[in-house]
Amino acid sequence: MQSLRNHILQIMLLLLGTIIVVTILTVSSSSYKHSTGQVLGYARTSAKVVEDSILNRVGTLSTALQALTQDFSAKKLILAGKDDQASLQSVLINYQRRAEADITWVLDGEGRFVTSTSLGVHDQFFIDAQKYQEPGIRFIKLGDEHYLIKSAPVKRTERSRSISAWGIMGIKASKIINSQLVELTDRQLTLFFPSGSDIEILGTSFDKDLSDFFSKSQINLTDKLHTLTMNEQEYVYVTQPLGLHYDDQLHLALVTESEKAYVSYNEQLIQLIGIVLVAAIMALATAWLFSRRITSPLTSLVEVANKISGGDYVDKEKPKAYITEVSSLSDAVWEMQDSIQKREQEVHKLAYFDELTGLPNRLQFLEKLKQMTCDRAECEVAVIIVNLDRFKDINDTLGHTTGDKLLVAVAERLKSFSNENSFYARLGGDEYAFIVSGEKLDSEDLVERLAMLFREQFKIEALELDVYASIGLAIYPKDSDDISNLMQCADIALHNCKGDHKPYAIYQETMNKHSVQRLNLTSELRGSLASGQLELHYQPKLSLQNNKVETVECLIRWTHPVHGFIPPDDFIPLAEQTGAIRDVTHFALTEALKQQRIWRSKGWDIGMAVNISAIDLIDMKLPGFVEKLMSEYDTEPTQLTLEVTESAVMTDPDSALQALNKLHGMGIVISIDDFGTGYSSMAQLKKMPVAELKIDKAFVLELASNTEDQVMVKTLVSLAENLSLKTVAEGVEDAETLSFLTDIGCTKAQGFYMSRPIPADKFDHWHQEFIDKGQTGQSA
Amino acid sequence: MWLRSSITFFSLLFAHSSAAYSLNVQVLTNKNSNLANAVVYLTSDKPLPKNSANTLTHMDQVNSQFVPHILVVQKDTDVDFPNSDSIKHHVYSFSPAKSFELQLYKDQKPEAVTFDNVGKVEMGCNVHDWMLGYIYVVDTPYFGKTDEDGRITLDVPEGQYKLNIRSPRIRDDEATLIQDVSITSNQEITFKLKKKLLPSLELYEESDEFSTYD
Repeated sequence: MQSLRNHILQIMLLLLGTIIVVTILTVSSSSYKHSTGQVLGYARTSAKVVEDSILNRVGTLSTALQALTQDFSAKKLILAGKDDQASLQSVLINYQRRAEADITWVLDGEGRFVTSTSLGVHDQFFIDAQKYQEPGIRFIKLGDEHYLIKSAPVKRTERSRSISAWGIMGIKASKIINSQLVELTDRQLTLFFPSGSDIEILGTSFDKDLSDFFSKSQINLTDKLHTLTMNEQEYVYVTQPLGLHYDDQLHLALVTESEKAYVSYNEQLIQLIGIVLVAAIMALATAWLFSRRITSPLTSLVEVANKISGGDYVDKEKPKAYITEVSSLSDAVWEMQDSIQKREQEVHKLAYFDELTGLPNRLQFLEKLKQMTCDRAECEVAVIIVNLDRFKDINDTLGHTTGDKLLVAVAERLKSFSNENSFYARLGGDEYAFIVSGEKLDSEDLVERLAMLFREQFKIEALELDVYASIGLAIYPKDSDDISNLMQCADIALHNCKGDHKPYAIYQETMNKHSVQRLNLTSELRGSLASGQLELHYQPKLSLQNNKVETVECLIRWTHPVHGFIPPDDFIPLAEQTGAIRDVTHFALTEALKQQRIWRSKGWDIGMAVNISAIDLIDMKLPGFVEKLMSEYDTEPTQLTLEVTESAVMTDPDSALQALNKLHGMGIVISIDDFGTGYSSMAQLKKMPVAELKIDKAFVLELASNTEDQVMVKTLVSLAENLSLKTVAEGVEDAETLSFLTDIGCTKAQGFYMSRPIPADKFDHWHQEFIDKGQTGQSA
Repeated sequence: MWLRSSITFFSLLFAHSSAAYSLNVQVLTNKNSNLANAVVYLTSDKPLPKNSANTLTHMDQVNSQFVPHILVVQKDTDVDFPNSDSIKHHVYSFSPAKSFELQLYKDQKPEAVTFDNVGKVEMGCNVHDWMLGYIYVVDTPYFGKTDEDGRITLDVPEGQYKLNIRSPRIRDDEATLIQDVSITSNQEITFKLKKKLLPSLELYEESDEFSTYD
């Protein structure tokens, strides 16, 4: 491929070359023609001059002859003939001199010779005198000499009808073609006629040599410019017919040296070539400059474009362009660069930043982590994952807008934790993560400080939200020197703390085992139902009024053949996600009612409380299933309590309400689990066919020492009482709490103080003991 | 004037011989038109009556022209040049029959010129180039010029003659201009020319740039 400049220059060269060649050819041809025409024209004019000069001579002869023939005494002598030859001769000589002629003679009326001025020199005087009387140029030859001849008649009287004699006069041809004419015409002149293969010359201005050359040359008589080489010199010549030699046509040759003839033409040609060359050089220079003007900004633009494609951006100024199109191109390239830059930033942002909070995203986080672990090999790098607890509930109850605002607020707050040694990102959903690097990291301090950030409430649109976070921490390279493993470690720690209801957890190797199980649970859960890995444990609810165990909460337990005990917090959410929860619930209900029947047969009339999930509520088959089950086990509806969390109801209040109403209609007791931690509205609660509230253990665990909790629980109990609802306090772990609850009129208490959840056989044992104790009055 | 002289001849002839006949000659051009002013004369091998001495005829100069333009005289006739003009003429002839030169001044009569040789005498004037006159000198008493109709009547005695026709305008060969005639009675001869005539003097004048003819 060629460059634009070369292309332009080549085209320009071709064009110029063509123009130059055509111009020079045309001009030189036309100028040559013109020049030739001029030479030709000049020759014709010269020939005319020569002719005029000869005619002048003829005129002179004519005049002299007329004078001679009309002179009375001369006529007398002429008509007297040979009578007085001497006198006649002297008269003839006299007139001959006057005319500067060379010869004169007289013929009588019959053409007979009378006398001449050159008697004894020439004798061939006999000519048809009549012919030479007429106007025109005529030559004859006498001896070796050619003469221009003129005749005039002599009459006896002026008016005579007959001619009595002729007077004839001649001038030497050599005298006629003289230096004066050469000077006048600036040409060498030769008067000649072709005689056989040679040229007979009458008169010439050539010297002897050239005259000889000329007489031997082939002379072209056409009316054009011809060339002739004589003595190694090139001549151009033109011939013109001029006069007669006897009756043969005579010609005048006008000869000159070629260079002399074309001197102006040659000068013109050289001048023209000079001008054209200068013009060509100027045009080329212009083309060069012009192409430079185009190509130099183009070259710059190409550089810029290459840089842009290489990912570099160019800050330097736009190349100056004098041409609109190039300038537009330049603008376009610059605009392109700007927009590419902008888009790249956007793409970068999208790829590396979280849209909602503006924090770096998971991708950037992982890259940063990789970078930080690589850069600081000697340092420790902590990965801390922060996950908001029950964010889904917040989202569900307060809407996504509020949820999003909370996420932003959390991001804001987390900012105060970050410093130059740390980097934090939103990994997605309600999960944030920090990277902290340092020589010696105090893991406890880090997570403690992070957890502190959640102590304060978040204010979102007049709402004050208590948000808790689970925090998991893992340290590089202690826990893992592989980034994805490290992340997993932090994740395991996080889940670990969630399971343990602690605000944070620092990764320990033991956690790993546990968490790996989780991954398989989903697939193993269904199998576990059939293989009897699931069983129900029962925790008594002590009725505080009569100190009897009237109901138990049925809690599901999974003893994995390999992993051992798996807490419900680990697999229930998974079961909910996969839909297996229905089978789990069915299992729990069936087992509970089966156990109830067993206890009934023993004489123990114990109500069974079974947890159901949001999924069960939305599933409208539940009431039918329960009904069928109750009839199968001959269960009193009031002896079955279904515990539902607030959030379960809030997921789809309409469906939930419908299901609950149906169950309530069947006489089943509905209990709200974990009451006080959710965001259920009182109005919603009022609508629901609820018979019991379960106060969350968060309020109960420290009830004995915490007065705030006491107020809260007391309020809740009185509120429930006012709504004719029964209350169950969870997490009762000491006698004081039990006593307090009894005092404030709480309906039932549940907790480790009475019993942990225990298998049926153990419960049998425990309950027998409890009954026995109660009978001996040791209870309460 | 010629009438006068002819009458003179007539009387002479009558006196000489009683047996005289009239010869009527008409000269026609090659185009059958009449040729006036043609000289007609008869010659004979036999001696004809000589011119009586001192016969004088005139060739006048009137308005710078010779009058008559053509004059026929018998050999040995004297011709004088009276010059009726008031200007000078220089009359000359280079003709072989008679070469002469006369300075003619007003009121100064030069002597008459005797034309003693037979032939045509062509005369000019050295002062006036256009002047042209002819004198035909014949060796016979029987001569004359044709009239406007190209006719002439000659009274001649019986005998053998040669009829001669002359004119400056005739281009025919001289030999063809001679015809034998035998006069035995009154006779009519029509002579037809073979060649085209030279232009008449009038036409000749027209082509002459020096013409002073009115």
